[in-house]
Amino acid sequence: MRPTTALFARSVWKGPNIVPLPIVRPAPGQKTPPIRTKARGATILPNFVGLKFQVHNGKIYHDVTITEEMVGHKLGEFSPTRKAHRHIQTKN
Amino acid sequence: MVFILGTNFNEARLVRKTLQSFYGVGPQVCARLLARLYIHPTARLGSLNSQTVLDITSILSEMKIENDLRRELRENISRLKSMGTYRGKRHAMGLPVRGQNTRNQTNSAKKLNRVERIG
Repeated sequence: MRPTTALFARSVWKGPNIVPLPIVRPAPGQKTPPIRTKARGATILPNFVGLKFQVHNGKIYHDVTITEEMVGHKLGEFSPTRKAHRHIQTKN
Repeated sequence: MVFILGTNFNEARLVRKTLQSFYGVGPQVCARLLARLYIHPTARLGSLNSQTVLDITSILSEMKIENDLRRELRENISRLKSMGTYRGKRHAMGLPVRGQNTRNQTNSAKKLNRVERIG
């Protein structure tokens, strides 16, 4: 039998892709700016929950607020890189 | 007629084919089930005694098949969609989810990929 395909994604011995991000825990009542990052491959860890990120998509930074169910996914999954094609009618 | 999991089947039907008619039972699960109950792969439903039929029904009713499995699948997709992931969006658009080309045919994706996926 084949194991689940989730296991094929990445070698287990490597562990999750942990990228050192400049995470600052805001003191209560204080606001910190969102964390700008280009590390789309960074795995969302449980201690990210509630933080705000700005994830690069190659052009701009998309705002992502991490919720509990996002843990285990990658940051890049929440920052779309493709633009839907729209037909623009030319003049004349 | 043989009664398995709420459905009547013809006695001339292969046991293998009957089991695989349930959503969530494919060739591999079916082969294991047959081996567990000592049923020959080419056996027909008529050759089973009533105790074996009951065993099949009880095993199948414990497994996650048919509508339970479909519901789980739909929940997984709608979770992706509500989170706002790329995969959820691709399901909603009916396009390939795992990075396949979309220049030419994407027939399976068009048929299957949607938030309320049928099966």
